[in-house]
Amino acid sequence: MSFPDERGQALVESILLGVVLLVPIVWALMILADVHRAALASTSAAREAGFDAARSESSAAAGEAVDGAVSSALTNHGLAGESATVDWIAPEGLERGETVEVSVAYPVPVVRLPFMGDAGGPSVWVRATHVARVDPYGSR
Amino acid sequence: MVLAMGIAQLALTLYGRNVVIASAHEGARAATELGRDVGEAEDIARRTVRSAAGSLVENMDIVVTTTTAGDDTIVRVRLTGRLAAIGPVPVPLSVDVTANSVRPGEVE
Repeated sequence: MSFPDERGQALVESILLGVVLLVPIVWALMILADVHRAALASTSAAREAGFDAARSESSAAAGEAVDGAVSSALTNHGLAGESATVDWIAPEGLERGETVEVSVAYPVPVVRLPFMGDAGGPSVWVRATHVARVDPYGSR
Repeated sequence: MVLAMGIAQLALTLYGRNVVIASAHEGARAATELGRDVGEAEDIARRTVRSAAGSLVENMDIVVTTTTAGDDTIVRVRLTGRLAAIGPVPVPLSVDVTANSVRPGEVE
């Protein structure tokens, strides 16, 4: 039994369903790609900031080194350095053999508009922590 | 089926782009580490791309340049290439990324 007025209905349903499924999948892919990029940047930033801070001569120099390393890593990955939250803990005087812990957190916005970028709203926070040891024998 | 493969292609393309960005940074950063020299930047960037993305990045070209700013040396790594079209869309996309890293001047 055929219904002439239903011809083409499957095609329309396929297109509608395709769009309804495709848009969220592509959107999720874009967000995941940004999360991946932020994860690569944050781990690099924390690792390099830890190395640089552990080689610094003083706490003040270590602070500058952390800021510089984080900013450089995030900028090279195409991210805004000022959006990151950076925490670091080091013993006063950076005594030999002590540890320096650097944590970097970066927010990846979930809501994006085409050609407009971030539209506010919730973010996925990507966090990375690195613990570096002040060289017990190396000169600084 | 074509739709699913297209989504997989998009995912691979985004992954490849991220790997290229991270590799350029790794090369620039490694060149400014203690005990390394600028000549190692290209090799490190190339090895990072190959180990993370394999043949996903084709026609890769890496240019390393150095400039000085006061006592500091700035290492710049420019990585260009094409992301292989693995999927239903036969259009390889070009990538062109640049990463900088600063080697502080030696303290006298």
